[in-house]
Amino acid sequence: MSEPVRFVSQKVDLDYKVVTSPVARRFDEQMRAGRITGHKCPECGLVYVPPKGFCPIDCVITDESNEVEVRDAGTLTSFTVITPIQYQGQEEKEEYVLANILLDGASGTIGQQRVEGIPHSEVRMGMRVKAVWGGDPNEGSRGWGLTGAIKHWEPSGEPDEPKEKYQEHVL
Amino acid sequence: MSEFTLEFPYRRSLGPVVGGFFTGLRDGKVLASRTKDGRVLCPPLEYDPETGVAVEPDLIEISGEGVVELATYVEQPMRKHPLSEPFTWALVKLDGADTALLHAARGCVAKGDRVKISWRSERTGNITDIECFDRV
Repeated sequence: MSEPVRFVSQKVDLDYKVVTSPVARRFDEQMRAGRITGHKCPECGLVYVPPKGFCPIDCVITDESNEVEVRDAGTLTSFTVITPIQYQGQEEKEEYVLANILLDGASGTIGQQRVEGIPHSEVRMGMRVKAVWGGDPNEGSRGWGLTGAIKHWEPSGEPDEPKEKYQEHVL
Repeated sequence: MSEFTLEFPYRRSLGPVVGGFFTGLRDGKVLASRTKDGRVLCPPLEYDPETGVAVEPDLIEISGEGVVELATYVEQPMRKHPLSEPFTWALVKLDGADTALLHAARGCVAKGDRVKISWRSERTGNITDIECFDRV
């Protein structure tokens, strides 16, 4: 007989569903069509991307009538280089960059955005980036949400923004 | 609606008694532990639950056939259940044992039915090496 059994592999897992709000569903549909949208507060004028469905400052509800499109380009305000630890199920093998990006037309940054197409040592605050969309919206292969529909961001080649333009958004 | 699965895989050490039990299952045998006063525990435990005294060091082989002590019928199995067809959770007291083992029995079985183990052809040293019990 072979070796005695000394260990068992087990797995705790949990399946769950999150009910998508109408605001998030609309945002995802627009993302699939290649448009990044937000809600502009009718009181203070701040543009929330992704839209919340309300302005937390003015306590007003916002809806599709407040929808605005922002550009799929912006300014990198903060970033980090991640070294992925190799655990079971880890799909990342190499170091990669995640950044906060202040989109043109938005009042706040979006986080957890992948930046590619530039050596990690050259990624910098104030750098201008543009979206690289993934999949094909017509054949339904494009993912959803900000990190699903957009594959990553890459340098746009425009000159860097001066820090006065983005410093209030730096983490 | 968005669907998610959160997973946490881990490895667990078994110790000499449960490790021996799982080794036996891998080899197609049911092993049980004996208490100092001669009771036979299956699934084997390291200590006598009545007295807290350690069991005898060697496991003994018992039968793969026994009698259903308690049964709960599952009409609609869930994804992680051992059988995808309607089945019964059964506490089975194997011949030669004084305690009962919980496992799935194919179809609908009831208290008092005699059942026997249906072994998997490929066994890895786990309780799932027993595919289920079948009524004799």
